[in-house]
Order: sequence, then structure tokens, then C-alpha cells
Amino acid sequence: MGSKIVTFVLGGREVEVMVKPMTTLQAVLRYQLGYTAVKEGCRQGGCGSCTVLVEGEPVLACLLPAEDVAGQQVTTLESITPVDGLDPLQQAFLDASGFQCGYCTPGMIMVSKALLEHNPRPTREEILDALAGNICRCTGYEPIVAAVEGAAQAGAAPGAQRR
Amino acid sequence: MTVGEYLVPRSLPEAIDLLERHGPELLVMAGGTLTMPLINEGIAMPDRVMSLRHAGLGGIERRGDVLGIGATTTLTQLLAEEGVPLLREAARNMASWPIRNMATVGGNLFTPSPGGDVAVALLALDAQVRLAGPRGTRVVPLADFHTGFMTNALAADELLVEISVPTTVRQTAFIKFGRKHANTPAVVTVAVALERRDGQISAARIALGAAGPHPIRVAGAEAAIVGSALEAGVIEQAAAAAVRECRPLTDALATEWYRRRMVGVFVRRALELIVEQHRARVAESA
Repeated sequence: MGSKIVTFVLGGREVEVMVKPMTTLQAVLRYQLGYTAVKEGCRQGGCGSCTVLVEGEPVLACLLPAEDVAGQQVTTLESITPVDGLDPLQQAFLDASGFQCGYCTPGMIMVSKALLEHNPRPTREEILDALAGNICRCTGYEPIVAAVEGAAQAGAAPGAQRR
Repeated sequence: MTVGEYLVPRSLPEAIDLLERHGPELLVMAGGTLTMPLINEGIAMPDRVMSLRHAGLGGIERRGDVLGIGATTTLTQLLAEEGVPLLREAARNMASWPIRNMATVGGNLFTPSPGGDVAVALLALDAQVRLAGPRGTRVVPLADFHTGFMTNALAADELLVEISVPTTVRQTAFIKFGRKHANTPAVVTVAVALERRDGQISAARIALGAAGPHPIRVAGAEAAIVGSALEAGVIEQAAAAAVRECRPLTDALATEWYRRRMVGVFVRRALELIVEQHRARVAESA
């Protein structure tokens, strides 16, 4: 019994971490690797603040033992932020004032990122459905939905740019 | 609080072997959406946890008139399956996208009431569950699987490995009524699957969630509509029977009093939905 070494790909770079059994991916990313965009919210799967992408699909890092992502691609907000400037989605959140305190923002953006990858032109209903698991206590959600709509119109998803 | 050991078997025989070796103290987890919150909060402090995520139990397979749904098929995978509309409708009304990417169909059968919306749809569809253990496998009707609040027919050395659903074309309706529009446990969930012959209902299954210690069928309500053409009066009788038969719980979402009344409202609306769909189909074919 005891710790294991887990290797996975984080934002395109292979990382190796030593984890105790069932340490959550959220704890590993935030506390071991310093990826502080991965927020610790409810630790119950109820708030969406810890959302990251595993193999491109949004999952809740607080409900995922780190051992489970061995060999897989993990993407956090840090991974999609360019060295200079911002990802178009981040810019869209800025432009629409899609945040106030900012705590839910990384989770919101990661789900939105995955949504636009799957569906570059989502309807308002589809945006609401995608974000249904992400709680924001500041904005009242309207500016967040507007940000995602704005990003879709600006062609934030690679799929949209190709057209 | 730390878990002593996390076991991730790569096949079903390996999983069964681990369960046999470590006994009933081994906590079995699939998608983790029920188990991880308990571990994170220190409510569950298991020495050993076994994940079924990589045991090869995911995926949906069509075998003739039957859909075989592997126990660790995610709700996202279920949502993409077009064979049984009622199941899609249930998955669509559940949780959030990231949770649907993690939560499993098999795990849903272990969700304490008022959770477990897929289980309600599966009950209306007359699903069967396959249980596997060291002595082989057995198939149990889902109607006999749940035995009480958080108790079931699974033996200590068995795992639930597959849910099978007949794909026979039926008239179905699914309504989940919650305190908010999405990502919420149910005040009440209603799933209905009917067979119709010569305009009359020849077979009926009405399943309710959050209206008992586990998903339940309401036999009196079903009997009220069999042999009828779903006239308004018959629908009222069925709704009234469901209200009498259900055994709702009181929790932070709703009281037993309120849930019982909502059972009546939503059984009626689900049956009305089927009438509307049937009329539309008849009009289309005319």
C-alpha cells in the first residue's frame, strides 16, 4: 500500500507526480503542481469550479482520482492561455464582463472551450445546457452566456476558424 | 483521511477476483460521482476502493431486440444512443455535462432516492440486470433488484455488469420535475412505457422516482389504463391511483405531502403527453 507514481500529459507536457491512493486530480493540479486555476469549490461535484478537460472532455477534477488519468491528456485554463495575450474565450469573458469575483471563471471557460470544440455555433439553449453544472454567485449568468455567444460569433473554436 | 489502496482492475475476472479476495469491505466505485463526495467529506473512510472504470464494462451493444448497456457506460454515451428514446430523454434531464461524462448507468442503480433518474426509465422499460460473481452470472429483473432504501439483490461477492433493455417500439414519456430547470435532484420523476394494440393500451408500465425508497412501479395506475384508449377520465383515475400507491420521502427538496401531490400532477401530464404524441402520429399517417 502507499503512494504511486502517475504520469500524464498536462497541457502538452508530460508530468510525473507521486500520489497517495485516491488523491483527487484537483488536489494534484492545484497543490502539487501549482495550477491554481483549478479551483477547489464544493468537492462534491456540485459547483463546477474544478472543471478540467481529460482527453478533451470536461470532467470534475474533484471527483477524479489522479491515478485514473494515467497516460491521458489533461487540459486546464493554464494550458489554453497563450504565453502572450489571451485565448479568444478568455477575451470574450473580459469583453462581456463574464465574471466578477472570478472564482467560477476557469471552470466556466473550460466547459465553454469544450463546447465550442464540439459545436462551434451553439444555440443559447445548448450553451445553457453545457454550463448547467457551473455555479456563479456573482453575475446572474447572463454576461457569461453572452461571453460564450460572443466567442462563438468571433469564431473562437478552431473548428469555426477553419470555415 | 487517506484511503489505503486504490485498485483499478483491467478486466471483469480481475475485478471479481479482487472483490472475492478483499470481501465486502471493499468499496466498489464506477464513475465516482456518488463515492468521491463521501470520501472527500470523510463520510466514507474505506481502507480499499476498487474502480470499475477500466474493467472493460463500458459501451452499448445491440443484440437483436435487446440493447445491452455495460454497467460503466457513461450518461454521455447513453445520451448518444438513439435506440431507446426514453433512455435518451432520461439522460438529457440528468445532472450536468461534466457529471454525465463521469456518472455511469450501472452506478445510477445504486443512487439513493431521490436520485437515480435513469433507473426510473429503465424500470419503465422492463430492464434486466446481469450480476456476475465467482460462481458465474445471473440475470435479475430490475423490478426485483431494489429491495429497500439503498439495499439491493446483489450478493456481497457480485458485481452488476450489464443492463439489458428491450428495444420494442413503445409509446413513452419521461418527465423530471425539479426545483430548478437543470442539474438538480427530482421532486418527482415519472417514466411511462405503453404498448398499444388496435387503439387500446395492451400493456403499461409507470415508474416513479423520488416517490419511494427506490424507483417504484405503480401497479394500480397501470391497471387503470390497460384496456382503455387513454380517455381523460381514465388518466385521472390512473393519476389518483398513483397518488395512493406512492410512498414519497421528505427531504430538503420537498415534503412527502408535496411530492405525493406532484406524483398525481406529473403522472397525468406524462399520460397526456403520450396522448398528444399518439394523435400527432395518427394525424401524420392519415
